[in-house]
Amino acid sequence: MSFIRQIDATGIPLLLARFILGLIFLSYGINKVADPIGFLKSINNYGILPTSPVWILNGVAVILPAAEILCGLSLLAGLALRPAALIVTGMLCAFTPAVYFLGAGLVGTQPEFTSLCAVIADCGCGAGPIPICEKLMTNTGLLLLSLWAFLSKSKRFRGGLGGG
Amino acid sequence: MNSDLKTDESESADDSNCVKSLLTGTLLLLVISAAIGLTINTLRPGNKIDLSRDYFPSRASSLEPGQRVLQENGTSNPEEGDLSSQGNEVSSGDGNSDESIETVPDDGMQRLSFEDVRDHFETGEAEFESSGESIVVFVDARVKDQYEDGHIPGSVWLYHYESESLIDDLKPQLEMAFFVIVYCNGGDCEDSLHLASDLGSLYGLPPENIYVYEGGFNEWKEMQMPITVGTEVR
Repeated sequence: MSFIRQIDATGIPLLLARFILGLIFLSYGINKVADPIGFLKSINNYGILPTSPVWILNGVAVILPAAEILCGLSLLAGLALRPAALIVTGMLCAFTPAVYFLGAGLVGTQPEFTSLCAVIADCGCGAGPIPICEKLMTNTGLLLLSLWAFLSKSKRFRGGLGGG
Repeated sequence: MNSDLKTDESESADDSNCVKSLLTGTLLLLVISAAIGLTINTLRPGNKIDLSRDYFPSRASSLEPGQRVLQENGTSNPEEGDLSSQGNEVSSGDGNSDESIETVPDDGMQRLSFEDVRDHFETGEAEFESSGESIVVFVDARVKDQYEDGHIPGSVWLYHYESESLIDDLKPQLEMAFFVIVYCNGGDCEDSLHLASDLGSLYGLPPENIYVYEGGFNEWKEMQMPITVGTEVR
């Protein structure tokens, strides 16, 4: 544990986590804002949100992209760092299992979808159609980075006004 | 002892402040996100999401007795053709073979096979050429770029997610038609089903006149049927 603390104290993992997460979430958010209907269709396909009342699904399609952009900017700037990392962690915890179930549901629906790793689908994450296994691995990596950014006690590279 | 107690109390107070600040910050970010998201959605010129509209109505609909009809060789017979007691079936065109009937989801939509759509298309085109009018109207539910890249000749463009702002101009033409055939790309595309449902429930067209071509534009193209590129007004 002391080794992890030493690494954390350098602030470099925090800096990497902030910039990688910040840039990725910023780009995801911008892509979704550019195509709100596409994102609405994607989250409807997941079937994880209640369909009634309808404003819940529609509201998530309107607000979530803005939250991704705002969290991305917060992480990059180091403003409200821990709250931004917490929200990003929450999003990843909610959507990673959803991506898995989406992919698992598509296995066998087309001749080439022989296994989970053969499934290529648009998960609505803002990156277009991609292999589901690749998306799950990316999300796992992002989840580790967001947890690091949230739990880091490093005083270095917190950015902004102290980082919350 | 006293100094240990003071340290513990001080640490506990710090933790409490930290959690409070974290929760306040998280709530603040979420509220600002909601404000930004709603503002962008309100100011957006197109592709706006109406928070109160159900964009996916066909997922909740169910078969209503008397609503489903069997479509045989271009004729519908709502009175004799109710198949609700036989499950959900769609004719593939010849109408007299059990093998031609396929099972479809239980959503109350009237679905047409390629052969039926082709027959309607040919009838509609012949009518239009002779009289300048047609009782068959094809409705393209896809985005405008896709419509302009190629559509079934004579189709009107009615993008499902912007249908509220487009329907007024098209309604007279749709109300005059006996066969309103809605399509999108086919395959996974469900926008034709959602639009067909809205045409009946939201925009007041007679449900018995509304049909969905599930094979969609991709099948139409694969079958090497005629295609019109660009916009079209009839």
